[in-house]
Amino acid sequence: MTSKTTQVWLGAAVLAASLVHASSASAQEPGLTDKTIKIGMFSPLSGANMAYGFDVVNAAKMYYDKVNKEGGVHGRTIELVVEDDRCNANDLVSAVKKLVEQDQVFMLNGGSCSAAAVAAKDYVVRSKIPWVMLNASADGALYPPTDYIFGAYSISQYAVGGSVVDFGKQHLKAKKIGYINHDDAYGAWNLEAAQATAKELGVDLAVESINPNITDVTAPLIKLRAANPDMIAITTYAKPAALIIKKAHELGITKPIVLAVTGTANVSQLVDNVGSKDALKNFYVQDVLADVPGGSKIKWVYDMYKENYPDLASKPDHPQAYMPYGIAPAMSVVKALKDAGPNPTREKVAEALRTQKFDSGVMAGPIEFGPNDRAAQESTIYLKFDGNQQTLVPGSFQSRWKYKG
Amino acid sequence: MTLDVAFLFLQQGIASGLIVGSVYALLALAIVVIFKTSEVPNFSQGEMVMAAGYIALYLLVFQSLPLWIVMPATILAAFAGAALFRRLILNQVARANGSPVNLVIATLGLSYVLRGFVRQTGFGDTPRSFPPVVEPESILIGQASVTTLDLVILATAIVVMAAFFWMFKYTKTGRAMRAVGMNPKAARLVGVDLTRIHMIVWGLSGGISAVAALLISPKVLMTADMGSIVTLGFAAAIVGGFTSLPGAVVGGFLIGIIENLVGLFITSRAIVLAPFLAIMLVLVIRPQGLFGGRVEIKKV
Repeated sequence: MTSKTTQVWLGAAVLAASLVHASSASAQEPGLTDKTIKIGMFSPLSGANMAYGFDVVNAAKMYYDKVNKEGGVHGRTIELVVEDDRCNANDLVSAVKKLVEQDQVFMLNGGSCSAAAVAAKDYVVRSKIPWVMLNASADGALYPPTDYIFGAYSISQYAVGGSVVDFGKQHLKAKKIGYINHDDAYGAWNLEAAQATAKELGVDLAVESINPNITDVTAPLIKLRAANPDMIAITTYAKPAALIIKKAHELGITKPIVLAVTGTANVSQLVDNVGSKDALKNFYVQDVLADVPGGSKIKWVYDMYKENYPDLASKPDHPQAYMPYGIAPAMSVVKALKDAGPNPTREKVAEALRTQKFDSGVMAGPIEFGPNDRAAQESTIYLKFDGNQQTLVPGSFQSRWKYKG
Repeated sequence: MTLDVAFLFLQQGIASGLIVGSVYALLALAIVVIFKTSEVPNFSQGEMVMAAGYIALYLLVFQSLPLWIVMPATILAAFAGAALFRRLILNQVARANGSPVNLVIATLGLSYVLRGFVRQTGFGDTPRSFPPVVEPESILIGQASVTTLDLVILATAIVVMAAFFWMFKYTKTGRAMRAVGMNPKAARLVGVDLTRIHMIVWGLSGGISAVAALLISPKVLMTADMGSIVTLGFAAAIVGGFTSLPGAVVGGFLIGIIENLVGLFITSRAIVLAPFLAIMLVLVIRPQGLFGGRVEIKKV
């Protein structure tokens, strides 16, 4: 009788223990069950800046779908909750809080607008939730490094500014560069790296910092023309960039113009906005992909997009220029989840990310983090664009800037 | 900076300032004419400009209509839209509660409605360029570089302003508008139809906004937020004296020149700050603006 009672109690204890064990992961880690991992995504899906994120999210989604079709990660399928942040800091922070507190996601994979993304830094660090950005550089959230935030999968602003100077010096043999950036934190990051790189390469910079909402760019361009640089580098967003290129043509400036990757999300729209292909006679665009858009190295991404979104793909201007940028962050998330093992925790995933290194095959350089580095990708390529065709300039170009801590 | 460069900057600053300033002057005129007759600052003025710009873009680019139809059609649509807003919405708001604050809130409401509408259409998702009325060929005036389009903008703005002043001074409707601006009760007693005059004033303001939109849109890329340019129209109106129509015009030119000279001689960073510094300076030194009348104290 006694032994029977003991057996019953032992059985109950074993059953309870196994139940506790089975549900421990989901009980301790929000967004995680035996069958699913919930990931929160956010990006501009509407409004004037949707070109920065709409198709980037679509690219990440199609990659996660592929992973799910192949069996998921350690047997768990990836579930996505997607929010529209409208490229706006307030909306982005609200989206992140909703995803973490209401939707209880396991980790975050979002952010396409740098200035907006930085606003979520403190909350994410406090919440100790791994955050893999999409195509935002958001250097202000990446430096000083934290344990939970990983970004710049397309490129960091520090890399943007330094690389433009490197390209000017190496390819265009420029000794003096006219440099136009934004007068905000975003502009300060790329300028800091441009100045560091210029100092190392012995290049003079004539800098004009402008407000992102400027409507008349005559004054900064007249000043740059008077400074007589060998090339003009533009590291602004799309709207001021188009105004500058247009005005430079009107003012008869014929020196090479190099546009940073953030300066256009749609080259055909750039041609329309500039108003004349003559303005693009001596024009280069920075890119961060491994090949020209649609080129052989990254054709599989475009094919996958057509297969997953046939309706979108048939529309003009789709896929949007930044579409392939969604692949590398999704790869990074999947790799970190795999590396964290069959019983992942947020801490294990963050730890896997901190030492992550792989070649996505999509971006110009490897995805690599280090003890002092939370910017994933730092290489760039350059395309000569004449208004019709983009031709790859051989080689890749890098910033000389390093975070010193 | 050498003397040669300084002289070049001065010429360019004045030339560029006059061109953008002419558009600010039009915007200021559109703001002041409403304020003068109803004491309501129209906070939807920028969105009226933006909406007129998108109407023109839609007709010109998406419906492929010729410019000679697009321009009057846009001005007419803006005139009718603004006049109807005054008649159907503001009259109702004024009747329900005569407080000017409610009228101001109603104009703010219109600004959100217009911006939301343009966003809903999808046209406002991407910065778009508006085809220029003339091909912008470069011209040198002294050492200053301008384009043929710039000269067309300046000339058109001056013609529109002159026509407006003529109408305001010499026509019966213009005199009635001035009477309403001076003393609405007395104007009504002598037979002026206030509702009609208010509709015409709003319609004219809408029409001027449409002209400003047609002029400025080829120079700035169009987005649903392009109405923020009207901030410079407000700056011009304040500098000129918020109740003075000639003051609005002078204020517009001054703001245009100041922002260009500040950008050239001080720093490009200060271009967007310059108009607001000018406002502060004017408000401290001459609170009624450069052309405003003496400050009146109202007994309440």
